[in-house]
Amino acid sequence: MITVNNLVKKYGSHRAVDGVSFAVSRGELFGLLGPNGAGKTTTISVLATLLKSDGGAAVIGGHDLATAPDQVRRLIGIVPQEIALYTDLTARDNLEFWGRLHGLGGKVLKNRVAELLEMADLTEQANQKVEQYSGGMKRRLNLVVGLVHSPEVLYLDEPTVGIDAQARSRILEMIKQLSGGGLTVIYTTHYLEEAEQLCDRIGVIDKGKMVAVGDKEELIHQIGNEDLIRFILPEDKMAALEEACAQWPSCRGVGRRRGKVEVRVGDGAESLPLIQAWLQEQGLPLSQLEVDRPNLETLYLSLTGRSLRE
Amino acid sequence: MQVIVLAFKDLKRMVSDRKSFVISLVVPFLLTFIMGLSFGGGLFGKTGGISAIPVALVAGDLPDMLKQPLADGLAETGFFQATWTDTAQAAAWVKEGAVAAAVVLPADFTERFFSYEEVAIEVWKDPASQLKAGIVEEVIRRLVVLVQANEAAYVTLWPETADPVENQKLEDWAEKFFAGDFADIWQRVRRSDQNSELETVGQVFLTGMDRQMALVQALQEGGITLSVDDKAPTGEGANDGQVNLFNYFLPTFAVFFLMFSVAANCRDLHRERASGTLQRQLLAPLRPGSLLLGKWLAASGQGVFMLSVLFLAGGILYRVDLTAAPLSLLTIVILCSTAASSVFMLLALLSPNEKYMDNLTTVVILVSAMLGGNMVPLDNLPGWMTNISQFMFNYWANQSFQNILMESQGIGSDPRPALVLFGVSFGLLAVNLVLFRWRVRRGGLI
Repeated sequence: MITVNNLVKKYGSHRAVDGVSFAVSRGELFGLLGPNGAGKTTTISVLATLLKSDGGAAVIGGHDLATAPDQVRRLIGIVPQEIALYTDLTARDNLEFWGRLHGLGGKVLKNRVAELLEMADLTEQANQKVEQYSGGMKRRLNLVVGLVHSPEVLYLDEPTVGIDAQARSRILEMIKQLSGGGLTVIYTTHYLEEAEQLCDRIGVIDKGKMVAVGDKEELIHQIGNEDLIRFILPEDKMAALEEACAQWPSCRGVGRRRGKVEVRVGDGAESLPLIQAWLQEQGLPLSQLEVDRPNLETLYLSLTGRSLRE
Repeated sequence: MQVIVLAFKDLKRMVSDRKSFVISLVVPFLLTFIMGLSFGGGLFGKTGGISAIPVALVAGDLPDMLKQPLADGLAETGFFQATWTDTAQAAAWVKEGAVAAAVVLPADFTERFFSYEEVAIEVWKDPASQLKAGIVEEVIRRLVVLVQANEAAYVTLWPETADPVENQKLEDWAEKFFAGDFADIWQRVRRSDQNSELETVGQVFLTGMDRQMALVQALQEGGITLSVDDKAPTGEGANDGQVNLFNYFLPTFAVFFLMFSVAANCRDLHRERASGTLQRQLLAPLRPGSLLLGKWLAASGQGVFMLSVLFLAGGILYRVDLTAAPLSLLTIVILCSTAASSVFMLLALLSPNEKYMDNLTTVVILVSAMLGGNMVPLDNLPGWMTNISQFMFNYWANQSFQNILMESQGIGSDPRPALVLFGVSFGLLAVNLVLFRWRVRRGGLI
């Protein structure tokens, strides 16, 4: 449904999008994961024809972005990061306006508005001004406005920013339903839990470059499928630990990070009793022990050298 | 069709957003209402429109024969209602607030004036009527300066006038004239062949008059022109001979408020950009120019509505005559609004963000209002400044409204202001469309 090949967008000498490539199948929910400023919104803006690319190509629904932007626009809907609504109008007024702008009218528009209000769970508040809504209600309306003309592709640009956990959960539920209904979705976020929970496949983006693409298991496999066992250890015992590690079957290395020692092992469950025994042998207490299985956070850390929230 | 959808959305938002509605309509209406009252206007024409400034005049030794014509002359200007009285009564009236000011000539005014002695004219002002009293004081100051300038010019051109002997003869003759001793003068004139002294006095006086007239004529030919259109009211309800100043002030206020109101509407382009609604609209299947046209149409519609309400209020409350050329008035209201929309949409497109536009429009509105005649009458500006005024759309708007409301002339009698407004409206609209498309292509509105 979407093929992006070596896409480039520059602002002066700064390359906001630097050779990004990925593909999204029809009905797939594709996540673009990266911290603020990574180039996610710029990528979405280019794919939505709002910005012109400076290189590369993209084909959406069989239409080339550069040569057939009008056809592309007919296929896509966008839910921007901002609450792009007229807060001084009611939800019904907003939906009717956007519907008319996309050429809907009469009974078709009326039915579509009722359907979307129902989907957003706003039927009872349909005639209230949007400025009186809670953050979650505004976000839900913001989402369904992007669907008013029944697009085949939906771009969701961080649609859960600034709302509480309950409201976020409601939005994510709506997105799952939409995706289940056959809609192709590109979902940008810097919340890795959302990406893990929602997306069929994820593209990890950093400083304008796509650093990894795949489903969750594929991505984790890229960092070697290692568990991490962390605990407090005096500095003068590091050499002894390294010697011990060499004797353990699944131990792959020892390091130190943020005041704790990190032991990389193939299988945490198998290695943990060995480590506990070694500590007892050394007469050391078992202090602040953590076992981490690999996840997208560790993937991002290993790919970029920094955390998503930095 | 989609242009109408876009414009209707903006108008609906304007009405539903109370703050914006108050700014665009109710505040100008209230200010116009208060300004009307502050000029002494009677509601529903009960006092015959805007009344003149009440002034008390204390005569000094000015002859009675000059008093009434002087008071009538002041009343005919439409600005002053003068009443001759004595010093005590004038002081009482000022204290009571019955008059805005009293102009008090000294008891020996005539004698001292013709003796070339220093004369002080006093203006007593009602503290509660600072504005009107200030106008009276300013007028008196200007008159004094004018007399002093004429006198200085006269003596410079004809130095022999300062000859004390010749002047003494003239003064003696003038003294009898102002004392009303016409019998003696007439007797002497009839027997002038037997009275060489009177003959000399007469010749000096006539020569002086000739020279004064020549001086006035010379000054007028020097480029200072004064044109007074003395238009008598006609028909029924003709306001009892009073000039309705609100015919002038209402359109100037209305155009001033129009600029603020339309600028606020055009500023919405940046607000929509910041909120993301503009980007969403750009994804709709319509030409980018339609978005701009929709906004322009809404701003123009809002302007037409606001001007219509203000003019109707002026017509009902202060008897501003809207019936002299109603079709022309409606046309100018529309052209004025479209021109304002084009001007402020251009400023919106030239501004990178809302804050920048706020500052830019404030400067443009205040400078345009000052130079275009919305703050001070254009006659008060120096000539070079009025040349600049012609680059302001509001100058032509004011000219158009004055032609219709003050001169009762339709567009046909002087089509130039209407043509300029038409050109500004649609010429700048074309520029705006090109600029908008250019900014959209460059991603400057994302």
